[in-house]
Amino acid sequence: MADYARVDLDAENQVTFELNGRQVSAPAGTMLVDACYAHGVEVPIFCYEPRIGPPVGACRMCLVEVEGMRGLQTACSTPVRPDMVVRTDSPAAKDGQEGVLEILLMNHPLDCPVCDKGGECPLQDRSFKFGGGKSRFFEGKRHFPKPLELSSRIALDQERCISCFRCVRFSQEVAQDGQLTMQERGVQSQITTFSGDAYEDRFTGNIIDVCPVGALTSIPYRFVARPWDITNTPSVCGLCPVGCNTELTLRDGDVKRVTGRPDPNYEVEEGWLCDVGRWGFDGDGGITRLTRAIVRDANGERHTDLTDAVAAATVALRGASKPVGVLLGATATVEEAAIALELAGGALAGARVARLGIPAAPLAALRATPRAQLDEIERADLVAVVGGDPGLAQPITELRMRKAVLRNGARLVTIGSRPGTLADVATHVHAAPGALTAAVAELAAQIGATGRPVVLWDEAELAAEPAAAEALAEAVSANGATRQIELGADVNGAGLRALGIPATGLLEALEAGELGALLTVRADPRSAPGRVAWEAALEGDVPVVALATHADRTTDAATVVIPVQSLLEQEGTLVSMTGRAQRVRRGAEGPAGAAPGWEVLIALGHHLGAPPAYRTASAALAAAGGRYAGIEGLTYDAMGVGGVELPRPAADHLAADAGPARAAGSDGLALVATRDVYGGREASRAPALAAFHAPAAATVSPATAAALDVTDADTVTLTSPYGAASLPVRIVDGLSDDAVFVTLGTADAAAEALMPPDRGPVRVGVSVEARR
Amino acid sequence: MTADQIREYLEPRRHEFADPRSLVLPALKFAQTGRGYLTREDMEAVAEATGYSASYVESVATFYDRVYTEPVGTRVVSVCVSMSCQLRGADQVWEALCDKEGVDHHHGGTSADGRITVQEAQCLGYCDRAACIQVDAEETQGPHTPDSARALVDELRAAPDPDEYWR
Amino acid sequence: MPLLNSVYRQREAGKPLVTLDDYRAAGGYQALPKVLAEMDPDDLQYEFMRSGLRGRGGAGFPMGKKASFLPKDSQRPKYVVCNADESEPGTFKDREIMEFNPFQLLEGITLAGYAIGAVRGYIYIRGEYEHQARVLDRAVAEARAAGLLGTGLFKSTFDFDITVYRGAGAYICGEETALLESLEGKRGQPRLKPPFPAVAGLYHSPTLINNVETLAALPPIVEKGADWYAGLGTEKSPGTKIFCVSGHVMRPGNYEIVLGETTLRELIFVHAGGLRPGRRVKAVWVGGSSVPPLGEQHLDTPLDYEALAAAGTMLGSGGCIVMDDSGSVVRTTLRLVTFYRHESCGKCSPCREGTSWMEKLLQRIVDGQAGPDDLEMLKALFGRISGRTLCPLAEGAVGPVRTALELFPDDWADALENGVPVPEPMLPVSS
Ligand SMILES: Cc1cc2nc3c(=O)[nH]c(=O)nc-3n(C[C@H](O)[C@H](O)[C@H](O)COP(=O)(O)O)c2cc1C
Ligand code: SF4
Ligand code: SF4
Ligand code: FES
Ligand code: FES
Repeated sequence: MADYARVDLDAENQVTFELNGRQVSAPAGTMLVDACYAHGVEVPIFCYEPRIGPPVGACRMCLVEVEGMRGLQTACSTPVRPDMVVRTDSPAAKDGQEGVLEILLMNHPLDCPVCDKGGECPLQDRSFKFGGGKSRFFEGKRHFPKPLELSSRIALDQERCISCFRCVRFSQEVAQDGQLTMQERGVQSQITTFSGDAYEDRFTGNIIDVCPVGALTSIPYRFVARPWDITNTPSVCGLCPVGCNTELTLRDGDVKRVTGRPDPNYEVEEGWLCDVGRWGFDGDGGITRLTRAIVRDANGERHTDLTDAVAAATVALRGASKPVGVLLGATATVEEAAIALELAGGALAGARVARLGIPAAPLAALRATPRAQLDEIERADLVAVVGGDPGLAQPITELRMRKAVLRNGARLVTIGSRPGTLADVATHVHAAPGALTAAVAELAAQIGATGRPVVLWDEAELAAEPAAAEALAEAVSANGATRQIELGADVNGAGLRALGIPATGLLEALEAGELGALLTVRADPRSAPGRVAWEAALEGDVPVVALATHADRTTDAATVVIPVQSLLEQEGTLVSMTGRAQRVRRGAEGPAGAAPGWEVLIALGHHLGAPPAYRTASAALAAAGGRYAGIEGLTYDAMGVGGVELPRPAADHLAADAGPARAAGSDGLALVATRDVYGGREASRAPALAAFHAPAAATVSPATAAALDVTDADTVTLTSPYGAASLPVRIVDGLSDDAVFVTLGTADAAAEALMPPDRGPVRVGVSVEARR
Repeated sequence: MTADQIREYLEPRRHEFADPRSLVLPALKFAQTGRGYLTREDMEAVAEATGYSASYVESVATFYDRVYTEPVGTRVVSVCVSMSCQLRGADQVWEALCDKEGVDHHHGGTSADGRITVQEAQCLGYCDRAACIQVDAEETQGPHTPDSARALVDELRAAPDPDEYWR
Repeated sequence: MPLLNSVYRQREAGKPLVTLDDYRAAGGYQALPKVLAEMDPDDLQYEFMRSGLRGRGGAGFPMGKKASFLPKDSQRPKYVVCNADESEPGTFKDREIMEFNPFQLLEGITLAGYAIGAVRGYIYIRGEYEHQARVLDRAVAEARAAGLLGTGLFKSTFDFDITVYRGAGAYICGEETALLESLEGKRGQPRLKPPFPAVAGLYHSPTLINNVETLAALPPIVEKGADWYAGLGTEKSPGTKIFCVSGHVMRPGNYEIVLGETTLRELIFVHAGGLRPGRRVKAVWVGGSSVPPLGEQHLDTPLDYEALAAAGTMLGSGGCIVMDDSGSVVRTTLRLVTFYRHESCGKCSPCREGTSWMEKLLQRIVDGQAGPDDLEMLKALFGRISGRTLCPLAEGAVGPVRTALELFPDDWADALENGVPVPEPMLPVSS
């Protein structure tokens, strides 16, 4: 349970003490509440939340008796001591706990029947378990205006608040956005923002999860469901490569809510979610969702059912006179990729399989160096971020880095062309695009000098600078204590690579006219980096069979479109950027006209006359686990609810997966593309995330704007060797000069048009298009 | 009050504190001397000058009785209502002033002409001069009776506005 | 009239000593050079310890012992913090020292700073004492100009300076950890202890926190010797203490007495001029509003820590509030609880919610709208608050009410029956 800290009962330095008459032990320094919980004794708590910070002792709920200490003690702030004698269930302790509950209910409205938290409320639960029945203090409760909209996503009912400070401490100390505070004093204390402004930031939803009462609730979830008509299922977020563990709340065959896991995965998200992960599901079933199959032929376009569509797909693929290409998108699951590979080895013999992503070769050596999970960041004394803007692209990593700095005093260094979202806590070492190698050399010296460095590196930016990647690989391995964490670009990039699938080769074969048909699985090459080249290559009469969840540029032009279930609707395995294989689970039922991607691929195998030997996703995975070294022995059982870490790839893994050697050229400005989860397609589909919706822009430093003679009222046309795009100008301080910053994954895919398929490096020319 | 003015005020004091957060309260008190209370813009200026979020600044401001985040009158008259003063007639003084200024007897308030705010104060540390009254942050005076208190506000109303509002 | 055995020089001199010259003329700034030249810090700490001086802020903890708790091997800078928040109802002694004898306080803080190896002292003064804060500002500036603060005091290697920091109206900031939070620029909410301020106080550094009256006692102790001080008063309550007498007495004011030598009766009737003719003592809160009241039967209790504890109350801050028999103790108790409700910082639930409910109940009793159940509820509430809060503020709200119920049953019975009318106040006595 997230409320209590993990306790390692096998660690050294155990302290033995007496708990309710039993001899038990816990590591020295463990807080009594946690030690009790580890031994099956629940001491009720409200304000204690070890993930947020050290105990504050505010609610006084956790009172216990400790022999020899005067009065009752708060177990959340009392560390275990050798031979202490603790009673959590003595009359005195029980009176203490009952008393505090009674006190807390004094001003509480007790409107559980209409409260969204009702049925899953720690205050309610603990009142039943530890309370003494009804409070004697009942009339004349304190009133506040209710409920307030704290933001477009969160409602605040101040009357229900028990002033545990958890939300405030989350905002101040975990997200460090500074926005939520306790104001006024005493019985008038209330949580609020500056002058009641909206609490808009990137991690706000977590305050709903930590609130032990119904004071903070999700507006999109208001009155949607009651605890007795929902079920919860553990899953994994499929919106970025971090792979935060989530819990899906289901009702009537639909996902109604996504929350952090009550039992967090400390190696990944530690129970926190970014607001896109939490509310992005909202757009999953939106208007662009594919609900029926489409077949386009000489007779035009028809909507049809799955059986018909699979048959049409079979015709298209079998009819090809040349080998077929199979293109896997970033969210294709391990199972889907494995089945695709099997088809390529049998039914579609000779097919060329590739993923939409970044070639692996330049990063192979770096990926082979000692790797860490995110919890290692907390133990580091130096945390270095090389390239990227993780707060936007791999959001949850930001919270770990902030924790490392604030709570553990780690030094945080960001190296690259922009300080990004960590600017307030990091030392930023500026490195212009293309100049990472020198900065990495400097970092190498610092790594040598500290005890436990962790280096986070951006996949896209280091792939674009192979020399820097190599230097970093060396720096990481030089000091035995250094660990690296990849800031991946693609959700399941690691899973697809683990199966040996390259990012290169397919487009080139298509361009050379060597392929007779293309099968895409959750891939939209026409919106991907290098999309202009893809469009050109698909110009001819190559039939395309697209398996997709939402309508996109590829499905708009495909011969056969087969709707598949989203990652909220079907089983599957994703491998996170830190190499964790984790399960997504079936939550929502999804549109009637869609099927699981893996099932569609198996059906294709059947139709093509070479059926795979399995019929379920789990069997597909087990079969793959027996075949591919990268996921050896992987099964659903092995993953459990928390996932397993896969072996690190060898230094020669996918060594041939390289794009054409190519210099960025020296004309124009360097193009820096960031995947911004908040500005991406998924977020823009979700009405709940409207506050994040912002138009794509060409962002430049003030100096660059001056040099270009543009203001943020202008629109510019960017031109690269690969394509062109026109975008409004935005001016931001602290960015590299002579560079243009763009966002990947936006609905218009403008940035992608400027890029080569392997994503970089690129330089762009800028011309002013229109003055607003 | 602008952030620059606040910075200028804080600058000579900065070296006295190992953590610049200690400057938040002095900054708030100083920012308040401009108008006698803090506007949203004042708090934003304090936030800018000290480097902490506006919400944080407001949370500190609202904790303290003598930092005002709502408008108050030109002069703030604090009537001590604690025990010693109560024993020596504070309730009567309070009633008299509330009546005179036409403000709520429960919470006090500001007179219609905006000149005088009457508010309750907890023990002002002048119990030897009970019942006592403090005007702004001037030295507390007493003993007061309803009559002398009424005369006091009359004097205040007639007096010119102060240049700075130390509360 | 100059006072015999006075520790505080403005009393000894019988006049304010607000300039450095005045203070010097009255014997000031003799202790500091002597100490810097002759004593090492540990000896000075030992001297404090031997004097038996106990903290005058309320808890009465031995000052020298507290100083000895500061770790000697800490790498962090150390600080002295002078608690000048004086907001306990009925207390106004620190005000007198700061206003009329600021240099004795500065010298005392400097001595304490030397004893613990501090780099700076802070005087945290309540916001309402702006007038006194200005006196201190001037005194600090004058002392600095005279080389009594700054670097290399009296040509020694000891560098020390003092900052006057103004609060802004919050009684809880008198609680030492809340004071530190406030001084650090935060909301003044108490911290969990341990760690104690001696180990991790201001900015996480070892910090010595003492009351104004405590620190101002140090120069005479050094000058006249710990033995002199320890020889005053009783063995466990040595020295003198200023009692602030207010309420229904003819001569309210500060009276410095030797501990153990004076009874409560003498304090009220000899020093403070007694009551109005025809009135009898009903209740006395001897140590500020946070201590349980005493009744007429306790008037012969000697004023020292032990005797007052034996009588069921505490010496506290020495804010002695006297109430005669002209009114009901119930109304005064309501006022007292209102104070704690208003001043509760809101951090911990039993105090935040409990003080507010106590006030509601008492208001109902005063309004004559309560029944006997309400008294039971009030008593039940004590148990829900007492011993369960984060800091002692709430204890200060519960104790006096509990004792008032015990000592004055008639007042409560009457209140339940009829409510409590507003009594005729005692009007100003011209003096
Ligand atoms: C609610 C509360 C208010 C307090 N207010 C004051 C105060 O105004 N002045 C003071 O010196 N001590 C006050 N104290 C006591 C301080 O916490 C602390 O014990 C004292 O400053 C230590 O100094 P001393 O040892 O010299 O007494 C207060 C304590 C509490 C719990
Ligand atoms: S809103 Fe919830 S989390 Fe925040 S202080 Fe209140 S009870 Fe605690
Ligand atoms: S007892 Fe009262 S003042 Fe003390 S911490 Fe708790 S709420 Fe704050
Ligand atoms: S959980 Fe221990 S005080 Fe709140
Ligand atoms: S009670 Fe009014 S000043 Fe102390």
